[in-house]
Amino acid sequence: MKTIILGVGNQILGDDGVGVHISNELKKYIKNPNVTIDEAVTGGMNLLDLILGYDKAIILDAVKSEKDKHGIVQRIPINDFKAMHSCNPHDVSLIEAIEIAKKMGENRIPKEIIIIGVMMKHISLEFNDKLSKKIAAAIPIAVKMTLDEIKNDMKISS
Amino acid sequence: MKTITIDPITRLEGHGKISIFLDNKGDVENAVLQIPELRGFERFAQGRRAEDMPQITSRICGVCPVAHHFAATKALDAAFNVDPPSAAKKLRELMYMGYFIYDHTLHFYYLGGPDFVVGPDAPPAKRNVIGVIEKAGVEVGKKVIKHRAYGQKITAILGGKATHPVCGLPGGVSKGLNKDEVNDIKKMVDSCIEFAKFSLKLFDDIVLKNKNYVDIILSDPYTLKTYNMGLVDKNNKVNFYDGKIRVTDQKGNEYTKFDVKDYYKKIAEHVEQWTYIKFPYLKAVGWKGFKDGKESGIYRVGPLGRLNAAEGMATPLADKEYKRFYETLGGKAVNTTLAFHWARLIELLYATERAKELINDPEITSQKIRNPVGEPGEGMGVTEAARGTLIHHYKLTKNGLIDKANLIVATTNNAGAINMSIRDAAKGVIKKGKVDNATLNMVEMAFRAYDPCFACATHTLPGGMPLEVKIYDYNKKLYKTLTQNI
Repeated sequence: MKTIILGVGNQILGDDGVGVHISNELKKYIKNPNVTIDEAVTGGMNLLDLILGYDKAIILDAVKSEKDKHGIVQRIPINDFKAMHSCNPHDVSLIEAIEIAKKMGENRIPKEIIIIGVMMKHISLEFNDKLSKKIAAAIPIAVKMTLDEIKNDMKISS
Repeated sequence: MKTITIDPITRLEGHGKISIFLDNKGDVENAVLQIPELRGFERFAQGRRAEDMPQITSRICGVCPVAHHFAATKALDAAFNVDPPSAAKKLRELMYMGYFIYDHTLHFYYLGGPDFVVGPDAPPAKRNVIGVIEKAGVEVGKKVIKHRAYGQKITAILGGKATHPVCGLPGGVSKGLNKDEVNDIKKMVDSCIEFAKFSLKLFDDIVLKNKNYVDIILSDPYTLKTYNMGLVDKNNKVNFYDGKIRVTDQKGNEYTKFDVKDYYKKIAEHVEQWTYIKFPYLKAVGWKGFKDGKESGIYRVGPLGRLNAAEGMATPLADKEYKRFYETLGGKAVNTTLAFHWARLIELLYATERAKELINDPEITSQKIRNPVGEPGEGMGVTEAARGTLIHHYKLTKNGLIDKANLIVATTNNAGAINMSIRDAAKGVIKKGKVDNATLNMVEMAFRAYDPCFACATHTLPGGMPLEVKIYDYNKKLYKTLTQNI
């Protein structure tokens, strides 16, 4: 099974970049040729381009949530999102992008797309290349969750 | 006074919020757009290595990484007092055409186009690219996806990665092209030219042949007589990558033409208390409030601004379309906001034709792609981002670190005009306090035409493009709320 782990976020916008911090950390632990680790400051169509051709995609990202505790980590299947923000106003959401691609007969969409999300009540709009304490503390938890996800997949496939 | 708030705007992240103020008859008195501005860039940049700026600034905005990358690179050329070899300039420009191909395609088919192709009063669930595909056919959808991807691929071949280009260096680029890459790009570019022609034909058939749409396009609420600004080459033709900044007046006559190094002599910024956005205006004309006309220094940038600020396109097919554009819409300048969409497609055709010229230029495979840099100093760089003129300005320390940084981004240049367009559209469509989703979409259309981009590097999940409309009575008491996707 070919898997891509994608850290999504903008490292010059403080906590928004947490996904990339997590994927950088994961590079230390994962040396499996069937697992690709990459990063992106993008959403929607571009994000879809990056995950096409893999059986599974694990997206590491900040998730804006009013109701969850700031800084907790959750595993969320993509179908649980009604819509996903794209990274910018000039793009469609990943869910829309997937829907369009399906309509066009695209057959390389990963069968499973999982978000490992760091829940945040607010994200600063100030340029900053450091994470806040609460969000930095989420990294080891997200790393473990992602490693468990990969281990489980390997058990199932073997 | 009643207040209607649209918050945030559908299809635009970054929590934009439109507030519409009604008078006691329920007609629109005023409207303002509030958007969060990313803050603190100057402080963030200070003390960093100058040559990191093209990479750092390409992350400012998920929308225009390529535009920021090259505005920064060009500012560094100037700051290090170096002129890149001509092959490097051509490689940069070719990559830039790839960016315009994917960006303009995305806007027309996914974001702005649905209003026309599907219809301005279609339900929001249909008024998107899926609706476009349903109306125009799956084959059209396939074409769109294919050519948008070609634009991305051209950019990626030249820039390393489409979304984070790494090729721009002061004095040149880090990577040339080999013969295989040239052949790949040639094939893609030929196909893109046909796609651009097809898109203009589609616009003709669906929009221009529909009297109803043409009436909307030409109507007063969508008309704004501002100055126009854009980069031009030595023949005053539109150029995306380089040239002088030309400003024309409401009738299309040249008002001024200047080098980017003089931008601060020509442009000043006005501050309002209700927003972080600064409103640029022509210094010599002055700030006269949110007004159009000759006496007000507000100007527009982006596809329509560029076409109005120039005297034609530098490639044959696009130039023919340029002439037809002005013949159809009643001569210069075209001041109708919704003409941005048509202008965008003419630019798409230009980008594809220009890409063909560049990829067939024998110099494009040259390996002389960088010149040595001089002593660090101060420099300004300008490019045309897809949505308008973009300026980077850096002052370096003698060790090549950033001492001061200033950016004027495209959407900021358009900020004054966008505010007025929203106000005028609201005045035109909201009467006696009657508001529904179709009316609000007519207001948003005024805004979407500019293809604006706000606080756009944030991209947290999940969202859902919520739309909230709050209507208050004149005592500012909430009496009605309309929502969508919340």
